Amino acid sequence: MAVIGDFALLLALALSVYSFAAGLLALLSAEDSGWARVGETARRAGIVVFGAVLLAAIALVASAFRDDFSIAYIFHHSNRDLPGPYKFAVLWSGQEGSLLFWALLLSGYGFVLRLRYKTDPRLFAYASVILAAVQVFFLSLVYFAANPFGLIEGPLRADGSGLNPLLQYPEMVIHPPMLYLGYVGFTIPFAFALGALIMKYPGEKWIHITRRWTMVTWGFLTCGIFLGSHWAYSVLGWGGYWGWDPVENASLMPWLVGTAFLHSVMMQEKRGMLKVWNMWLVFATFWLAILGTFLTRSGIISSVHAFAQSSIGTWFAWFLAVSFAVFVFFFVKNKSGLRSEHKLEALVSRESSFLFNNLLFLLLTLDVLWGTWFPKISELVQGNKVTVGAPFYNRVAIPVALLLLLLTAVGPLLAWRKTSFESVKRNFLWPTIGALVVALFVMFTPAGWGSIFGLKPWHDISYFYSLMTIFLSALVTFTVASEFYRGGRVISEKTGQGMFASMVQLTHRNTRRYGGYIVHFGVVLAMIGFSGAALNQEKEMEMGYGDHMQISNYDLVCRSYTQDDNPNQASEWALIDVYQGGQKIGTMTPQRLFYKASQQASTKPDIRQTFKEDLYLVYEGQNDKGQPVIKAHVNPMVIWIWIGAWVIVLGTGLALVEPAPVPVTVRVPRMVERAAPVAGD
Amino acid sequence: MILELTCALLITAAALLYVFYLPGRLYLGPEKTRASYLRERKDAVYENLRDLNFEYKAGKVPDADYHSLKSSLEDEAAALLAEIARLEDAAAPRKTRA
Repeated sequence: MAVIGDFALLLALALSVYSFAAGLLALLSAEDSGWARVGETARRAGIVVFGAVLLAAIALVASAFRDDFSIAYIFHHSNRDLPGPYKFAVLWSGQEGSLLFWALLLSGYGFVLRLRYKTDPRLFAYASVILAAVQVFFLSLVYFAANPFGLIEGPLRADGSGLNPLLQYPEMVIHPPMLYLGYVGFTIPFAFALGALIMKYPGEKWIHITRRWTMVTWGFLTCGIFLGSHWAYSVLGWGGYWGWDPVENASLMPWLVGTAFLHSVMMQEKRGMLKVWNMWLVFATFWLAILGTFLTRSGIISSVHAFAQSSIGTWFAWFLAVSFAVFVFFFVKNKSGLRSEHKLEALVSRESSFLFNNLLFLLLTLDVLWGTWFPKISELVQGNKVTVGAPFYNRVAIPVALLLLLLTAVGPLLAWRKTSFESVKRNFLWPTIGALVVALFVMFTPAGWGSIFGLKPWHDISYFYSLMTIFLSALVTFTVASEFYRGGRVISEKTGQGMFASMVQLTHRNTRRYGGYIVHFGVVLAMIGFSGAALNQEKEMEMGYGDHMQISNYDLVCRSYTQDDNPNQASEWALIDVYQGGQKIGTMTPQRLFYKASQQASTKPDIRQTFKEDLYLVYEGQNDKGQPVIKAHVNPMVIWIWIGAWVIVLGTGLALVEPAPVPVTVRVPRMVERAAPVAGD
Repeated sequence: MILELTCALLITAAALLYVFYLPGRLYLGPEKTRASYLRERKDAVYENLRDLNFEYKAGKVPDADYHSLKSSLEDEAAALLAEIARLEDAAAPRKTRA
């Protein structure tokens, strides 16, 4: 298998080099029709690259299932008793395998792109060449610097070292593919953008072509980030879901800029504005995705998630520098083709709301970028590493997130070009009153109703932020609901259908807009979940048989401890009975696991989740005195983060659905004689 | 080892055959012209008009705003249509001569 895998990688590299070189020559000699056939061979070579990289990936996975410990990568990341799904996940569990996986996804995206070339052959040819250049980099890296098919030195071992215990969790089988699909996918919009820049592509069709790619990619990255958070919450045992770790930040930065791009691109499509800005946003998203990979692979910045320190950081540094130089070169050369067709006409307009939205996303990105790199920068300047923690990020992230939530409520109700005071009053009066009522209700309801009630913003700044989140979330919810209601009413009046059927038809007629509103609603739910963090409680104590622990309104009683054993792992469980108001509501079993092959220990928290709050128990093992220690957290509203994530995924999926044609048409007066009919409602 | 080498050779041969054997004519697609770009812009302006009409009927846009915005969009569409017509008229005699 190692020979086949190694050969497949070499074939993929050779074909990528050919696809790049032949494609480039064909583009440079576009006037000569004979070169068109060379261009076609380049496209086909790009297609075959996917088959070759897929073969290499299959060879690696098959080696894991065959327990082929002659391959060093398999020896270091698998063992005989590792359950089947985790053997499959071995592909992305280590440095070399995950780079191969990256190359596989990149070639997969390239495969689809090259098959769909008939949409616009010339633009696709440019995008294909740019993609081939990125493929050459990744395949060279995998083949020469991080080859997963390297053989082990010395005698063959009977068993492998095993998979990292933290990765032996079901979500780890889907979290990395989602995240990588997101990271890698941003190469496609970048390839089209750079292609359009190089060829001075007239118009916005390239944006139309890449819109679906961008949304799919954004959806994958969003899924990946939320799955990663859920994994951290369910496995790491510290009671939180986001720790501003450099690796988490690495995934957040391209997501932030990609989200900004998804919004600002609408201004280019609708009004021919912000062409330069969008070009830079696409590039920044791609570049930050690569930078994130550089962060996690080079060991330049310490992280609990990062792969071991290795020499491949230099490769990434060069790639980042070269891609930046290439982009800047073509931008300076061809920026004259990026002139905006319109200017911002009014401060209160849909365009300005998108612009502010973009500035806030960028501000947040810069904050995260600065905080992530600060340890390295401080080391270079002062000689000692200074690491910044959650307070540093939250100081900027929370106010910016609240302002973004405000724009999420306001933006969709503003008209393009300009919005009058009359329009603002008409659209915002009732949603604002509704949101104020919700906020006042939450503020003045007794705290006994639940953790989020009775919040007095003057007691603590975090309470103020929580209350603002609730107010703005209600505002977004009401504005989204009003959009569905008003649109549904128009269709209902026209067709005589019921309101629900009309809303469904409305959504089907403009899936992008109404799918987007559902995404916004998902964001609201997630934000409500995040706002609960201000009210988190935690407690830790030694617990012998029959001992009690009081936290929030829970009474935890230690019933006993028990043990289990299987070929892969040994485990020790605490059995904790949970009482609330004197009534037993369940038994929880936090575990401590010991993985035999890797000789590593890990915790597995037990989480009792309700719509109101999570009771999160961790069995921390025995302390110095030999006493078992239990740590309990009460985390309000966390479930809404995961529900919000599902709603975001649903909205993204909906936005990808092809919209239904508008059935009714009216004539627009005052058009020139040739005016075609315009659909009116 | 011989089996693996045979596999490698067969895979390489199949790949090269697919890449370099090009029977039939190639699809090159239409050339992107100023007129096709203007048609795209026209579609975008029509889309904006559709949205505006719908938002007006939904009660989101007051009368005065609606008429002003609609008028400017119609002017934009008219300018685009006029230029498309000019380009098509200029192209027509060439086609006739050809």
